[in-house]
Amino acid sequence: MSRIEILPEAVASQIAAGEVIERPASVVKELLENAIDAGATQVSIQIEQAGRRLIELSDDGAGIPPDQLRVAILRHATSKLRTTEDLFHIDTLGFRGEALASIGSVSRMKITSRQPEEAAGGRVVVEGGAVRTVESAGAPAGTVVSVEDLFYNVPARLKFLKRDLTERQQIDALVTRYALAYPHIRFKLFHDGVAALQTSGNGDRREILAAIYGVDIARQMLEISFSDENFKLEGFTSPVGLTRSNRKEITFFVNGRWVQDSSLSAALLKGYHTLLMIGRYPLAVIFIRMDPTEVDVNVHPAKAEVRFRQPEDVFGKVQRAIRRGLLAYSPPAQLVSQGWQTQLPPLNQRFISRQIDPAWKMATETQEAPAIVGPAFEEGTQKEQPALDALPAGDLPLLRLVGQVGSAYLVAEGPDGLYLIDQHAAHERVLFEKWLRQREQSVPAQALLTPQVFQVPPQISGMMTEQLPALEKIGFRVEPFGPNLFRVLAIPAIFSGADPVAAVMVAVEDFEEDETPLQTELEARLAARICKRAAVKAGSVLSTEEQKMLLQGLEACKSPRTCPHGRPTMIHLPIDLLEKQFGRRGSR
Amino acid sequence: MKASVSQQQLAHGLGMVSRAVSPRSTLAVLANILVATDDGRLRLSATNLELGISCWIGAQISEQGAITVPARTFSDLVNTLPNDTVHLELNPATQSLNVRCGMSNTDIKGIDAQEFPPMPTPDIQDGIHLNISDFKEMIQQVAFAASTDEARPVLQGVSMNISEDAAVLAATDGFRISVRRAALSEPVSKPVTAIVPARALTELARIATDGDQVVTMVMPPGRGQVVFHMKDAELISQLIDGNFPDYRAIIPRSFKGTTILTTNAFLKACRQAEIIARESNNVVRLSIQPGGDQPGKVEITAQSEETGSSENFVEATVEGGSLIIAFNVRFLREVLEVIKTPSVVLMTNANNTPAMIQPAGDDTFQHVIMPMHLG
Ligand SMILES: Nc1ncnc2c1ncn2[C@@H]1O[C@H](COP(=O)(O)OP(=O)(O)OP(=O)(O)O)[C@@H](O)[C@H]1O
Ligand SMILES: [Mg+2]
Repeated sequence: MSRIEILPEAVASQIAAGEVIERPASVVKELLENAIDAGATQVSIQIEQAGRRLIELSDDGAGIPPDQLRVAILRHATSKLRTTEDLFHIDTLGFRGEALASIGSVSRMKITSRQPEEAAGGRVVVEGGAVRTVESAGAPAGTVVSVEDLFYNVPARLKFLKRDLTERQQIDALVTRYALAYPHIRFKLFHDGVAALQTSGNGDRREILAAIYGVDIARQMLEISFSDENFKLEGFTSPVGLTRSNRKEITFFVNGRWVQDSSLSAALLKGYHTLLMIGRYPLAVIFIRMDPTEVDVNVHPAKAEVRFRQPEDVFGKVQRAIRRGLLAYSPPAQLVSQGWQTQLPPLNQRFISRQIDPAWKMATETQEAPAIVGPAFEEGTQKEQPALDALPAGDLPLLRLVGQVGSAYLVAEGPDGLYLIDQHAAHERVLFEKWLRQREQSVPAQALLTPQVFQVPPQISGMMTEQLPALEKIGFRVEPFGPNLFRVLAIPAIFSGADPVAAVMVAVEDFEEDETPLQTELEARLAARICKRAAVKAGSVLSTEEQKMLLQGLEACKSPRTCPHGRPTMIHLPIDLLEKQFGRRGSR
Repeated sequence: MKASVSQQQLAHGLGMVSRAVSPRSTLAVLANILVATDDGRLRLSATNLELGISCWIGAQISEQGAITVPARTFSDLVNTLPNDTVHLELNPATQSLNVRCGMSNTDIKGIDAQEFPPMPTPDIQDGIHLNISDFKEMIQQVAFAASTDEARPVLQGVSMNISEDAAVLAATDGFRISVRRAALSEPVSKPVTAIVPARALTELARIATDGDQVVTMVMPPGRGQVVFHMKDAELISQLIDGNFPDYRAIIPRSFKGTTILTTNAFLKACRQAEIIARESNNVVRLSIQPGGDQPGKVEITAQSEETGSSENFVEATVEGGSLIIAFNVRFLREVLEVIKTPSVVLMTNANNTPAMIQPAGDDTFQHVIMPMHLG
């Protein structure tokens, strides 16, 4: 065994830095929090090459006195905390005095700052943790921190960075969330000189939601507010019809700090209990303010987690606030008759609260029949596995249609018993295999009379641009139309009649952070989503003709027993099971 | 209430209004039909709160009154009664309707008429008068192009634009658009624009009998509703809020190619192609071939992995170059079905630009279809 030695200072600080600064987005977060702590009203962020080349953040906050610049970059140097006591009621975002030191040790960092009330400012340049120069300098009021060549001296870290697109997404997701949390601050975010996000700083959160998600979604989001002694919750959450297939769009801020806490999300989801379909999650941005002594923020190096002193109490309040908010907006259960003209909202508002796709099982149903929910629908990361040929080519016997039940299932008889078929899942499978067969040639696309422009959140925008060719392969013609804007010119013919923008969104909403699978797999995955959308819904009454067509289609499938997402399309009740259940076994 | 009506008229009236019944509503009374005496006639009404239909039939009334009865029960019963006089009598104590006809005597339990949503009585003086058969034709030529996608309510509607002396109806699902103009026999005083659910207009076309001559359209101010009033029937619909796409901007100004075909032959060829194309996203290819000395032709082909392939030729007068262009055959069929002239004009520019179909020699009807791209 080798000798134990004290690490050289530079190595030690790089290791410490690794805790705080993991990737470009962590730098942005620390700088942003410093600017907010400094009372900035405007923050402008320039990113080059997803932050590898440059991260520069300027604010108009309180500034740093020239003689303190050298101190600010030292480890454990902070102006925000004096005693251990203070640690228990932190009301600033920073408190460790570690951020600048950490960033400085793994990059070339330059801080230029002037206090508004002073004539002169100062500048400090740090390289790999070593101070290069400290000088006085003229500067606009506020602070500009520029971080170049991040991790240039830590090749191991550099290697762990994801591709630019992913790092960019992380930055975008972070900045948009802070913009929402601090609506009175004007945010500007540029990537390689192109604006990705700009907010007005007028305090209107809905306006910021619109900048991020587009006007449509922003308008639909429900405003939530709730308060009692020492606890205040406000924010937005989506109506039950507006959902995503993952929890990425659920955001919590506690005392101005973005926290990633799965129990908070779980509490929010409980608020939606029975209202959401399995595998669907709401969009939400929730801001909680509470007594700082009730929450410990000093539990995670990047401050992403907090610990509540009374977690159950907090979760309960979150759940209740959400539930109440949702109920307040849902239509009354019974219409009172007094003039039929005023009883329903106008048609175009009504669709908002409608369940977009009742074919996904309602949350309650699964609790009763968990056996039907396949592994693809496990918590959280719903990885869609288009089962190309993975499943046994379980040929179906010839089936005789008996009829439809509950506008959702077909009943059929085979030589070996009874088959209950989920019409939606079955149709999904039929469409998907049809698509697979067509793919050999080319997928026909239906052009739109007028291209439809739509907006996507900044963090999806880059991914979209990159995946346009894949989308084109499956029949979408989409082109960029400005920052975060795209327009759709044609959609796959299989979608005929659907809302083109909704169709594109179905295909892209789940772009995973690192979705760079083989092109064919990606296409299959997109196609599976599209089939899901285009398939006949549960709740539609089918004519006998249509039911027969569906059965025939299913019989022709290579993997008729599961939908493209791996869910079963049918339940088989063998004859002997029926006999056993009816107590006929052996009676013959 | 005590009234006598003819079984035939009653059955006909019930058939008319039942289309507005909403059997699965949470409000039980919406599954019912209102039966009421009204100014010497018997009134039947049904509504699902979006669409309401009323009709009036001649009756011998000896006692005024009103009741609502389950639509299904009442219609099924009346349909089996002999072609004779039906006597209706309300028993206010039990809120049930006694239906007597020939040897048959039935009591149907009802719900108090007070619970039925009141339907507005429009002031038809303010209305716009439209000739029924013209208006029906307009609806038929336009409404089918509306979207059925609930996510885009505006496109589920038909845009109605009535200016001084012309009415324009338009509907689109985003892939095709149908626009029909008509001159008005009498000018209107104030122009009207509204988006009416296509479903309501289709119902209107169904219930309006040509004999009715005129339909009066009224939009009671501030209500967000439109009322179509006829002599013996009335339809009320919610209007759709929103901006309808500007069709003037969508319809191309000029075309390079003009192909004239016999409407019937073209329609038949499309129907045949559709049988095959159904299985392959409805794609058909039109190959337009100018003839030189002989007449030109259009070749219509469909191909499907599963079903097979089909080819059809239709003779045509082709001006402009040859072109291969793909369409959703259902779109072609649906427009050809509503063209009344013996010949039809297909106008094209390129295989990726909008094409237009028009009745030959009639430019009051324009239908633009976007082609399909075949990758
Ligand atoms: N943008 C800024 N404007 C004004 N002062 C700043 C700014 N950035 C940093 N400072 C000063 O530099 C100090 C050190 O910043 P640093 O981010 O390293 O530590 P911190 O914010 O106190 O704690 P933490 O490590 O938790 O972020 C801060 O305490 C603050 O006084
Ligand atoms: Mg800090």
